[in-house]
Amino acid sequence: MVEVNRSKRTRNTIIYHVLVIGIGIFMIYPILWLGGSSLKPDGEIWTRMSAIFPLKPTLQHYVDGWKGFGNISFAVFYKNTAIISVVTTLALVFSSAFIAYGFARLHFPMKKFWFACMLATLMLPLQIQLIPQYIMFSKLHWVNSFKPIIIPSFFGRAFFIFMIVQFIRGVPRSLDEAAEIDGCNRFKTFFTIIMPLCTPAMITAAIFAFYWSWGEFLMPLIYLNKPKLYTISLALRSFSDPSGQTDWGAIYAMSFLSLLPVFVIFIALQKYLIEGISTEGLKG
Amino acid sequence: MKIKKHSTRESIDGYLFILPWLIGFLGLNLIPMVATLYLGFTDFDMLSSPEFTGLANFIRMFTDDVRYWASVKATLYFAFVSVPVRLVFALFVAMMLHNNRRGTHFYRALYYAPSVVGSSVAVAVMWREIFGPNGLFNAILAKVHLPADTVWLGDPRFAIWTLILLVVWQFGSPMLIFLAGLKQIPTDLYESSSIDGAGPVRQFFKITLPMLTPIFLFNLVMQMITGFTAFTQSFIVTNGKGTPLDTTNFYALYLYSRAFESFQMGYGSAMAIVLLIAVALFTGLIFKSSPMWVHYESE
Amino acid sequence: MKKAILLLIVLTVLFPLVANGGGDKAASAKEELSIIWWGSQNRHDRTIKAIELYMEKNPNVEVTYEFAGWTDYWTKTTTMAAGGMLPDVMQQDYARLAEWQEKNLLTALDPYIKDGTIDLSNVVDSAIAGGRINGELYGLNLGMNSECFVLDVDAFEKAGIPLPPQNWTWDQFESIARELHDKLGIYGMGDGMLGEQHWKTIYLSNGEYAYNDAGTDVGYTDESLFADYSEMIVNMQNDGVIPNRELELAKYGISIETKGMVSKESAMEYFWSNQLTALTSAAGEGRHFYMTHKPRLTADGPAANYLKPSMFFSISAQTENAAGAAKFINYFTNDLDVNKILAAERGVPISSAIRAGIKDLMGPAQIESFNYIDRVAQDNSPLPNPDPVGHSDIVNNVYNPMYLDPMCYGVITPQEAVHTLTVEAKKILAKNK
Repeated sequence: MVEVNRSKRTRNTIIYHVLVIGIGIFMIYPILWLGGSSLKPDGEIWTRMSAIFPLKPTLQHYVDGWKGFGNISFAVFYKNTAIISVVTTLALVFSSAFIAYGFARLHFPMKKFWFACMLATLMLPLQIQLIPQYIMFSKLHWVNSFKPIIIPSFFGRAFFIFMIVQFIRGVPRSLDEAAEIDGCNRFKTFFTIIMPLCTPAMITAAIFAFYWSWGEFLMPLIYLNKPKLYTISLALRSFSDPSGQTDWGAIYAMSFLSLLPVFVIFIALQKYLIEGISTEGLKG
Repeated sequence: MKIKKHSTRESIDGYLFILPWLIGFLGLNLIPMVATLYLGFTDFDMLSSPEFTGLANFIRMFTDDVRYWASVKATLYFAFVSVPVRLVFALFVAMMLHNNRRGTHFYRALYYAPSVVGSSVAVAVMWREIFGPNGLFNAILAKVHLPADTVWLGDPRFAIWTLILLVVWQFGSPMLIFLAGLKQIPTDLYESSSIDGAGPVRQFFKITLPMLTPIFLFNLVMQMITGFTAFTQSFIVTNGKGTPLDTTNFYALYLYSRAFESFQMGYGSAMAIVLLIAVALFTGLIFKSSPMWVHYESE
Repeated sequence: MKKAILLLIVLTVLFPLVANGGGDKAASAKEELSIIWWGSQNRHDRTIKAIELYMEKNPNVEVTYEFAGWTDYWTKTTTMAAGGMLPDVMQQDYARLAEWQEKNLLTALDPYIKDGTIDLSNVVDSAIAGGRINGELYGLNLGMNSECFVLDVDAFEKAGIPLPPQNWTWDQFESIARELHDKLGIYGMGDGMLGEQHWKTIYLSNGEYAYNDAGTDVGYTDESLFADYSEMIVNMQNDGVIPNRELELAKYGISIETKGMVSKESAMEYFWSNQLTALTSAAGEGRHFYMTHKPRLTADGPAANYLKPSMFFSISAQTENAAGAAKFINYFTNDLDVNKILAAERGVPISSAIRAGIKDLMGPAQIESFNYIDRVAQDNSPLPNPDPVGHSDIVNNVYNPMYLDPMCYGVITPQEAVHTLTVEAKKILAKNK
């Protein structure tokens, strides 16, 4: 009987892995294609476009691409992007969690109105607000610095606030009530009870925040007016000119390189998603 | 109408918690938003000062702009097809990767990969390649003896489907949020129901789905908003042109093109106002319906 | 762990304050000049080197610069203009110059030509006329350019077809393209045959133009000229002589590198003359290309070609250093050292002295395009006025969505399409009256 169960379980495990890998191939294809293409010599890029593996692999595109523009290499763009992404990610995650607690747990006048205003910020396309926003930031003398990109993240972002609100609303209220009976004020309750319980949500938020600010391009395009301040996404888009010659190999190579940090952050953070948080221990 | 009583202490604390957002909203978001709302009622070419024209933009939009209606159609089609498919797929994959088997970490990275590639220039080239006349997609069709000579990106019947596939394939963000939601479901619920003899299917419908509804609500609202305001997919794949025959000319893309390429910022702003109202109504509907299907552990 | 998080929070909060401190507003007595352009890596590299050389030669000037790809460039500069923060020198395009000038965003260059800051003694007037609006010069041409048909000499030989004469007609073109297609089994002609540029030049070779001189109306009366052309192209598309619209969108029309000529899938291809270098390097070694004029309506009629400024440098009206900007533009136009660095990447230089000075440094493809420009200079139609205000509106909202696509997908006939185009374009142009 035990034997049968075990073989059944082994069979299920095999089916699981085959299924996951099978679908996974379609998922990983883009990365493989991009990585492969970045190694193709110029002659192969268009003639063997759908091939993943180059016939004569070369690292030349990495050398050419890394040089960047003039004497500003990709090292500069990496540094800029890293500063922006790390700061905005931390700022966004903590400020959004803090704000979310207010919306999720506390009752106060006009709450629904403010919440609706918050969602409305997502519904008006950013592109159309660009000009008024630019005029405003230029009056503040923020143009040509990271400020217009970084500072707004200290005030939370609707997407993350709403997301964490939904997570907090899933946490049994008995937990914070117990804390309040123990004499915690609301701030202490937030930091000691709610925040730890929202780790999965905050980790998720951190992954997105990092990825979005890493790839963000409209704000850097408008507000960074010196190549020394450019981010990777901006630099990548400066490679190509539809009416002129474009070094596609360099674009592929630098695009591929630019994915690595995002991937590393994802892998580093997602392992915290595995530790399912049980509320059981806290209930006692 | 019942008037809720708020305790003063709680109200103060509430405002203290949302204060950072409130400052940001009033200081940084409100001015551009109000300016946009105003500009919708003007003729503004961005470079000379705006001229008030009342409802002229709206009248033109609804009565004298064929491309406008094409963009509405393309956007609704895109949103109503891609959002449900993306959500179901994301939930399915999240369920699949929600375990402690060996290799799960690796698999998650694998499934998140498409979303990481995002909207870089390289994606545009790759997507055109996959759906090109001699691309991967047609090669697969040929292998299984299906007609393989469709020019997917150039055919008005199919072009939008390539964009739908692109966005479904980049399902990483809702998937990750579902995954985090699954992680938050107290494990003791499953344990006690197992003792009661519930199988996995029953557990899914009795525990997982109800417990996940707050997250589902979030994903639904957000995906709807992003669906209605979709821009990037068409911007990179069709080079911002919405070709062929305006079938991929998303609302936000058309708005952008009017504003920045044809210097009609007033008209673009008016389009943005209509978009805001439509999305707000739709989101309001979802919220109104939510007490019927969203289950909050805390209430 | 908690302490670490706290520390991080403190650091992030403090960051903007710290980052603020290290600003590069080092109070200098140097003259400041800012420049912006669009392009790809090649152009960025060359232009940056040119700017560095300028600063070396003029140690009292501090030049700041920025660049972007084509689409991003316009989003960026429009926003800057709205905020009153345009750089001193900006690259401009023939299709946008009038629009920007009309909104008072550009400074006329004439005073700086009069006082000798910009030296045009080696430049013929026709080379700069394209930057003139209402008699005043608002942009200085950075390179001469013209449309051309590039022919694959090897394919012509293989098919046993002689190269066409310079004054070939559209009828000749059609029969050659069909013959190439029949004999070689490839496309006789590549994609891009229904762009708005052809609308303009069909009428140019009839002594007219798509727009009238004042930009208040279309410049032609006979719709059938363009309708006949459109019908010819659509028929050739349907017969597989030219890639159809589907393939143009999905495959050929994406980038120079994807053109049918690169992969030997087409025997002729439509280009701008300054693209030949890019084509040659994409196509690889051992290919033979010949550039020739665009076909015209009648062999003895006006040419369909004109010499177009590839792009301009303009001085923004928001500048505080117009004289410095003019000096820089002069340097870009007349300095031999800098033109050796730039290597005619923006098109054939307008100064005859510079052309002679850099000719030895050019590769075969560039020499071919120099020679082609010389041939066009002998045989062309007069340069039409810059595209009127509303041109982008017409292209984006009328030409592509109401004429091109519906016609190619068989929704309407070429005659109906051209009629719609004319009527709708008239409506937009009427606003300029």
